[in-house]
Amino acid sequence: MSTATAVSGATTIGESPSGVATIATRVRDRARTMGSQVSLREKDFGVWQEITWSSYWDTVMTVGHALLALGVEPGDRVAIHSENRTEWLYADVANLAVRAMTVGLYPTNPPAEVGYLLSHSGAKVLIAEDQEQVDKALAVIDQCPDLERIVYIEPRGIRYHYDHPKLLAWEDLLKLGAEHRAAHPGAVEERMAAATADDIATLIYTSGTTGPPKGAMLSVANLNFAIKTLVEDQGLATPPASTSDIGLSYLPLCHIAERTFTIHQNAAGGVQMHFGESIATVQADLREVQPTLLFGVPRIWERILAGVHIGLANASRLKRLNARLWLKMADRIGDTLVRTGGRHTVATRLVYAIGWLFFYRALRERIGMRRVRFASSGAAPIAPEVLKFFMGIGVPMHEIYGMTENAAVTTINHPGRIKLGTVGEPHPGVDVRLDEQTGEILTRHPAVFVGYFRDSDATAKAKDAEGWLHTGDVGEWVDGTHIRITDRAKDIIITAGGKNIAPSEIENSLKASPFIKEAIVVGDRRPYLVALIGIELETVSNWAQRKGIGFTTYRDLSEKPEVIKLVQGIVNEVNTRLATVEQIKKFRMLPKELDHEDGELTATQKVKRSAIAKLFEGLVEGMYSSRDLAGGAR
Amino acid sequence: MSGTKLSGRPMLYTSYASEMALLNTTTKKVMVGLLLVFGAAAPFIFPDAGGAGDSPLDINLQLLANACIAAIGAIGLGLVTGYAGQVSLGHAFFLGIGAYTAAVISGTDRTGRLVGYGVDEILIWLPAAGIVAAIAGIIVAPLATRLRGLYLAIVTLGLVFIGEHFFKELTNISGGTNIGRPAPTATLFGVRLDVTDPNFSRDQKLYWLAFVLLVIFALAARNLARSRVGRAFNAIRDRDIAAGVMGVNLARYKTVAFAVSSFYAGCCGALFFIVSGFFVPEAFNLELSVLFIAMVLVGGAGTISGAILGAFFFTLLRPVTRALPEYVPFISDVSSESPNVFQLETVLYGALIIVFLIFEPRGLFGIWLRIRNYWKAWPFSY
Repeated sequence: MSTATAVSGATTIGESPSGVATIATRVRDRARTMGSQVSLREKDFGVWQEITWSSYWDTVMTVGHALLALGVEPGDRVAIHSENRTEWLYADVANLAVRAMTVGLYPTNPPAEVGYLLSHSGAKVLIAEDQEQVDKALAVIDQCPDLERIVYIEPRGIRYHYDHPKLLAWEDLLKLGAEHRAAHPGAVEERMAAATADDIATLIYTSGTTGPPKGAMLSVANLNFAIKTLVEDQGLATPPASTSDIGLSYLPLCHIAERTFTIHQNAAGGVQMHFGESIATVQADLREVQPTLLFGVPRIWERILAGVHIGLANASRLKRLNARLWLKMADRIGDTLVRTGGRHTVATRLVYAIGWLFFYRALRERIGMRRVRFASSGAAPIAPEVLKFFMGIGVPMHEIYGMTENAAVTTINHPGRIKLGTVGEPHPGVDVRLDEQTGEILTRHPAVFVGYFRDSDATAKAKDAEGWLHTGDVGEWVDGTHIRITDRAKDIIITAGGKNIAPSEIENSLKASPFIKEAIVVGDRRPYLVALIGIELETVSNWAQRKGIGFTTYRDLSEKPEVIKLVQGIVNEVNTRLATVEQIKKFRMLPKELDHEDGELTATQKVKRSAIAKLFEGLVEGMYSSRDLAGGAR
Repeated sequence: MSGTKLSGRPMLYTSYASEMALLNTTTKKVMVGLLLVFGAAAPFIFPDAGGAGDSPLDINLQLLANACIAAIGAIGLGLVTGYAGQVSLGHAFFLGIGAYTAAVISGTDRTGRLVGYGVDEILIWLPAAGIVAAIAGIIVAPLATRLRGLYLAIVTLGLVFIGEHFFKELTNISGGTNIGRPAPTATLFGVRLDVTDPNFSRDQKLYWLAFVLLVIFALAARNLARSRVGRAFNAIRDRDIAAGVMGVNLARYKTVAFAVSSFYAGCCGALFFIVSGFFVPEAFNLELSVLFIAMVLVGGAGTISGAILGAFFFTLLRPVTRALPEYVPFISDVSSESPNVFQLETVLYGALIIVFLIFEPRGLFGIWLRIRNYWKAWPFSY
């Protein structure tokens, strides 16, 4: 681009000639100023292959030209259906460069949902990872008249086997792009220069726990505010993310949180981003990469915690004793940190320093958190016990709050001002208030989304005339600065006795146990609360092995009297911390692991209460039927 | 692309070269560095042999030099037995070939009784000894490509007896039974290493020679082991049929294994007697083969460090067993009486092999690995 001026300093990074910075201009400017430095690493054949900023941008340009060659116009939708990999970023940034909207699909989306998302978004091009995702798209291709091309990244099983006219290999896409680039040099730059702040950058489908997914439209301006707040200012880490930071991309990129942590932190902060071999290797990848900035959803933190418990339970006697001592110390350190808001005292520093030698250093190295300087949990409520564990072993853990509809910008527990059990303080420039009647949290700021794609009714419900976003979460102020979320408004249980109860807190207390993976509290318009509980197969089977309990399947293990006794113990323990009306009077074991494909979980692994209530109606009714009353809690 | 190195992330490899590196962790670098410094400084720490008032149990430089030389031979046997899985009892035969090649090249024909060409330069007789032994290995290798396991062991055992017979009968080369001939003379760039000069003693110079050669041979073996050839060896050891199916040329790699192993044995044999200065043909008997097998198995099969460890273990064990008759009255130190200390040594080698194969199959090095892994897995057990 001939009009480009010399870029100097971090402040001008991302300015495009028309004045609008996008992710694409940010990547371009990094390619110019630090082109030979490493931007991305992707593990391939056992080695982390390095991709520099200039080769990153070069591939983006080629893909951008290819999209032009495929006839993608501004405002067209391009869907990406893949696990995290560099091609996701190439495609996403290229979309931005040619002013198309990226629509991310979860790799776990079953064909029916793929059909809905592709047809509702009217995607023109689909970039699918492999045969599995191509098969899903081909199964529903009749419902998607707008879909013109399916680009596949991994040719295995597709090339020479499939001859659908819409299929195109990634390599051929790059070839197409290179030809177009040679024939029309500067075409992508021209398109980029025309970008405006009101362009819709991405369409993020929220995995509604009720009803079909809705596509939230986030504009360039929305993302720019989010980037400025979360990445460039001290919205998340202090000091802000920089080129010396290391990140691992492992959660689905179609979610706003991972998009922020992977693409925004990489493009705007210069964080070196790593892509592992697959979602199954996260633990090993964490250990190799040792990220400095780490985001996880509660499920991830719970799993890591469960893994630590299994590892320690199977360790030799001396190691067990050592671990028990230092975990107890960690618990105390955690207590102090909770009291002080995350600031160490002299005493905790001293204890931690000794524990560092004997336990914490090695433990953190093993779980890949040796070098974490900012860890955060968000996207779903998490039990405070889990956060406290990580704080105690020295991982600087912060709960954050945000949602797709406001580009994940709402509140954060700032380092040193942590209040456990709250989601923290509003970011600067973010208006937050509680609805006087319902207590619903309302937010207003420049990153509040444009609206739902092709759904003005839902948009009107979520965003009022004054620009306030109705989050659907009920909350309260704590000490006037921090916000505590009670629950999703629609999940609040009102018992037959008229008490309002937030089930997620009870559920999270149960899930804080390493043995419990799922807990669903039921009791709306009922005399008392009951729960459906799913065990964590890995930990419970390990526990059963140590106890010498034989079992065959998940269901068989779940229904062992010893396991029920184990769960009963956990339930009783949690009950002691609850008011009488909140106590779980009875529970039943879920006979199967909940699954996205079976419609029990959303793509983000959240439980669909309505579906569960219908599927396991018999179990729930059994707990309320009179003949079972005499038995009490089983 | 060569790949950058991220600090503090030892498990993040950005290139195969860094993943395959010999010293891939800082700890290893430091430990090997310290070991090298200690090894080089040993002549200033340990005394020469035969000093006034030293007991047979003291460690002296002659003993350490012998251990270094034995380690070269053990590494060679470790390559063919530990890495490539071809059990060879014929190691003594190749040692003998190397020893006589070197002795013939370097020896002088004073009496007209012995063949000798008087070339003292170690840079000539050492490689020559290795090459002649390697050629012998290549000649034997076809046996290995057709046989495996016990059968190969028996056939290579035969080599030892054939070798012993020839060594005894070829008196103009070996000097004959119980007579023997002088070991090769060690001269490096014209400097005699086997005599004391004003600066350094004979033992010091010979030790340094042995130590430097051990480092060179060990490095070469380690590099071979982590190369394509080494991986082929491992594949053959783990399952030769599977290796063949994967495209490993069995005949070729078994030949390479025997050739390299014999080269090491030849070099070891050439050096084996430079410290004592004299050797007899009966030395290359079955016991010597068993001793080397014991070094590899007790040290740790399939590792270079294990072979070195085993060689040092057995060489340093010898003065202990030789001192036994002093303390245990019914054991004689005369070979014609029974029970004598030499029989005891053979029994001990056998017993150690049995004990290690049953209780610690990975050998002394395995014990070290176990300790290392205990701390490496901290705070978990795996």
